[in-house]
Amino acid sequence: MNFVNSLFVIIFISTQAISPQDGLGDQLNRAKILYSKGEYFNTITEMKRLIFFDKDRKYSYTANELIGECYKNGAKFSDALNYFTRAEINAVTPEEVYTCRINIIRINILRRTTGRALSLLDTLAKDTRFSNKTEENYYWRGWAYIFADEWDKATVQFGRIIPKNELSGFSDSTDNQKYSVIKAKLLSYFIPGAGQIYTGNYLSGVLSLGWNILWGYTTITAFQAKRVFDGIMVGDLLWLRFYNGNNQNAENFAIEKNLEISNNALLYLQKEYQGEKP
Amino acid sequence: MKNIPLPFLFLIFLQNFSFPQDVNLYSAENRKQFADYLYCQKDYLRAIDEYEEIPSSVSNDTIRFKIGLAYLKMGKYDSASVSFTQIGVNSYFFNNAKMEFFKSQFLSGNFDTLDHGTNNYLTARQLNAFAYLFDYKPLPTKNIFLSPFEGNDKIAVSDFYERKLNPPYKNELTAVILSTLIPGAGKIYTKEYSDGIIAFLVTGLMGYISYTDFKADHKFRDWLFAGLTAFFYGGNIYGSATSAQIYNAHVNFQLNSDMKLFLEDKDYFVPDYEFCK
Repeated sequence: MNFVNSLFVIIFISTQAISPQDGLGDQLNRAKILYSKGEYFNTITEMKRLIFFDKDRKYSYTANELIGECYKNGAKFSDALNYFTRAEINAVTPEEVYTCRINIIRINILRRTTGRALSLLDTLAKDTRFSNKTEENYYWRGWAYIFADEWDKATVQFGRIIPKNELSGFSDSTDNQKYSVIKAKLLSYFIPGAGQIYTGNYLSGVLSLGWNILWGYTTITAFQAKRVFDGIMVGDLLWLRFYNGNNQNAENFAIEKNLEISNNALLYLQKEYQGEKP
Repeated sequence: MKNIPLPFLFLIFLQNFSFPQDVNLYSAENRKQFADYLYCQKDYLRAIDEYEEIPSSVSNDTIRFKIGLAYLKMGKYDSASVSFTQIGVNSYFFNNAKMEFFKSQFLSGNFDTLDHGTNNYLTARQLNAFAYLFDYKPLPTKNIFLSPFEGNDKIAVSDFYERKLNPPYKNELTAVILSTLIPGAGKIYTKEYSDGIIAFLVTGLMGYISYTDFKADHKFRDWLFAGLTAFFYGGNIYGSATSAQIYNAHVNFQLNSDMKLFLEDKDYFVPDYEFCK
């Protein structure tokens, strides 16, 4: 091969390399750059443009999937679900289907439709194509339970992952910190104020006990002195009111404390946890 | 040239055809097609962005009109009005733009615009009639008011007119007087039946207990229940006045929401466009 021939071979090969593979591929790259910069609105526009001009639906999966991610990042969960579902429809490989389904599950976890997330995870677990993804299934199941505020069940799910996932211990510790609402109520049924003291609200507990002793004593002495009307009025309007209030208080304190514990745990996970999150 | 081997020349030449064409997705025509697609997907914000990127040399009244419609559908009535006013008198969409402009003005609450020089447009006259109903201006006579309407619309609008002219309000003073005479009667007058019966029973019970306590010379309880009776009695009178106000507010709310439903059903008397069919 002489020099001229060699030169033409080089030109031919280099033309192949530098020519745009196709305009749509460039469009996809452009959108991905926007996405990496956090410009989600523009990413969606460019992806929609790609979908519109991609008559062969070559990029439908990728584009819909990325639009879903953008909506998710913008906390527009319903739109994200819509586009992840479209991506699933256009998915070609089982891996793509799996990615879409997990994304849909993660959205359901985030928007706290955890029942739906768990049901989708059940379907996924039964699908033989994804039999090698069992542990990932447990992982997202655990997260679903976390968002459903069922830390005990989350502990069980994370505990099934080998090697043991750090979230297992974290869920367990959060669950242990939580107060039993039934216990708080029962304590206050038997000893007014005890439920409040159990949840750490000592002043409220002591005050509740004091009020109940005062009005209980007044009611009983009124009946003993045969002042039936006084007994009924004080008993009904004051003692019962404080007794019921004490029970409700104990329940509310336990619920509030549990909410605080859950929120703190979620905040910790959001800021400190390095693993994959919904 | 004779040194250049022909097969290679041919290959390079062929290559230009064999590559997928590098379509310019941002050409004016493609932008327009994409914007139309976004518009029909109801992604109005992006549609507007795309339409506005089309060079003015290529842009036309259809695009400007669609921009206006997109703003209108997004609830950006001022921007919609501006877009519609940009459509020239010679445009095919001029009359439609006028009607949409009136709709924008109506929806943004600029009722005065509808009242001036709009007699040529039936839509404007119809919306102007509703402006009277939504506003607190004195209503014109019924014949004049109903003149832009026909058929079933006329019947429905006539009903709105009557409800606006003679709203079935409850008088606050009447409610107060009734509750002063018979506790709870004011509430029953304002159709709060259960509240009225409870007010009557509670005030009556407290009054009776107080009366019997005074009779039995119970020194503390008599005044305690007299005070409670006065408290419930006063509360029932105040409550009746409030109940009449709430009732009247509900009458206004119901009329406004019925009118809004009617207008939405009629799409504010503007025509339907077949841009997405």
